[in-house]
Amino acid sequence: MSSLVIPPLSSDNPVILEMRHISKTFGAVTALVDVSIQLRQGEVLALVGDNGAGKSTLIKILSGFHQPDAGTIVLNGKEVHFGSPRDARAHGIETVYQDLALIGDLTVYHNMFMGREYHKRILGMKLLDNPKMRDLAKNYLDTLGINIPSVNSKVELLSGGQRQSVAVARSIYSSPKVLVLDEPLAALGVREGANVLGLIQNLRRERQVSTILIVHSYNQVFEVCDRINFLHSGEIVLDASTSETSEEELIRIVKSGLGREAIAAAARRIASSKSE
Amino acid sequence: MHATRDVDTSKVGAEKPAVGIKAPATFWEKVLFVLSRHRETSIAVIALILVIYFQVGSNGGFLTVQFLGVVLRDTSRLGLIAVAEVMLMITGEIDLSVSGTFALAPYIMALMSAVWGTPLALGALVGVGIAVLVGVFNGLITVRFRVPSLITTVGTLFLLQGFVVSIYNSQPIVTPVQEPFNFIFGESLFDPRGDSLFSWHGVTAFSPLLWTVLVIVAITVVLHRTTFGLHTIATGSNLVGAREIGVRTDRIKVYNFMIAGGCAGFAGILNTCQFSSADPAAGGPFLTLQAIAAAVIGGTSLLGGSGTAVGALIGAFVVATLNNGLVMMGAQATVSDIYLGAGILAAMILNVQVDRLRARRRI
Repeated sequence: MSSLVIPPLSSDNPVILEMRHISKTFGAVTALVDVSIQLRQGEVLALVGDNGAGKSTLIKILSGFHQPDAGTIVLNGKEVHFGSPRDARAHGIETVYQDLALIGDLTVYHNMFMGREYHKRILGMKLLDNPKMRDLAKNYLDTLGINIPSVNSKVELLSGGQRQSVAVARSIYSSPKVLVLDEPLAALGVREGANVLGLIQNLRRERQVSTILIVHSYNQVFEVCDRINFLHSGEIVLDASTSETSEEELIRIVKSGLGREAIAAAARRIASSKSE
Repeated sequence: MHATRDVDTSKVGAEKPAVGIKAPATFWEKVLFVLSRHRETSIAVIALILVIYFQVGSNGGFLTVQFLGVVLRDTSRLGLIAVAEVMLMITGEIDLSVSGTFALAPYIMALMSAVWGTPLALGALVGVGIAVLVGVFNGLITVRFRVPSLITTVGTLFLLQGFVVSIYNSQPIVTPVQEPFNFIFGESLFDPRGDSLFSWHGVTAFSPLLWTVLVIVAITVVLHRTTFGLHTIATGSNLVGAREIGVRTDRIKVYNFMIAGGCAGFAGILNTCQFSSADPAAGGPFLTLQAIAAAVIGGTSLLGGSGTAVGALIGAFVVATLNNGLVMMGAQATVSDIYLGAGILAAMILNVQVDRLRARRRI
């Protein structure tokens, strides 16, 4: 297993984000029941769980795409309401969605600055400053070592990995306080995946960016994350730091049965054995 | 697991034929490449071929001031409605009620003038204002009630047509001539026997076209040089993705419905200025369909995400040329519909094929 050195997270890092008692239903489908999560500054939190466990719903509430039926979001000690993804981005929460939210018919640089375009005034009209956005996008992607044919390419011409890299680059361009990545490694090759994980480490080390990762592969969880929240059927059944648990235990929990009680019981067993 | 992945990477590295975007090699690929980059070029070539065909076929009857004046008038009317559809079609919506708005706006102008003696300029502003409100109505029903705009606007079309016909006993209203209003908006003062083509009277013969060109320039700037245009493309190209990244897609759609309504109303007012009469039965659903055909022939996708205003104007010119040229050459008016139908199908097939080639990254 490749080894990325994780600097230990100081426990006196302040809590930057809290989602408290979040519930959400879509018609007859209950997606989340009283879910609470906490994120410290500079912490990398993994959100794991089966398909349909509610991971994507939870982060779409955080990103303002969905509004919760109940519960609150507290950012830097202040309660906030996100009526739209625009609000969340304005508060420094950037999200890379599973579908990447890229516009195939637009160029890479227009995608990079979607929602925060640069303008210049020509004859009193507020027009797009395309050359500026093109240059900024090109320099930034070069800095990150992201290899694409050209920032002028339409996104639909890029490969899956290139698209994912562009989406990640867009999310970190504005120096977010909280970065949310839904399956960031899904379409990436080994090297590109390692780049993204390295990027997350750098952001955390240099800018104290807090990150929420949704991942499926448990070994990745243990490579880069400080803490794991296990979602099952819309509830958090395990909240443990990666130093308290192990990959094997996690897999055992998943395999031990899909019943909520079974997983909760297993989680309690692990927690108590760790505290001894 | 890691070991196998490492093997995979080495395999990728060893793959010899270069992957990625291939440069166009053969002549045919180069042609398709140009067509995919500049949708307007393909339709401009077709327009040129048509002009040559009719010019030759009619022994020089096509490129005369009188005949071209008729073609360009049709082009301007159709082009203005087509461009009204372009922005909307880029968002992935469509407005079939534009011909209703086309009849309503000038009828309100004429009615205000006839009943209250309101100046035409004021009546025109009210007419266009109401046309924009029709757009708001269409837009809100589409985005709030989640009714597909194809259905919403069919309803609005019947509503508007019924309304226009019933408000004044379906009487056409003769509008007074008020200079400079009529002069500016399309009353033809040109007399081919006495006036030079490059005189003020010559300009009036083409003023509807000049207005249409002005609107098309404005729409092109909006589409490619403003945030609104960028978000319009984003909305049609990837609705969910655009919303996720913070584009207010519902608002963008409603604004584009408003632009469509306003353009259609303005086209109606230009039309009334030409004939000095407001006909409640002006337009008709066929006008909408021809305008949509013009937009599609001009390279606007019915699926949203791409389209050009200039293409719509050239498309409108092709439709107007086919309609008038075939009649000039002695064909029945109905026969020109056969050609138009075939033209639309050919244009659609070409557009879809170019898209598919592009998607496969062969060009």
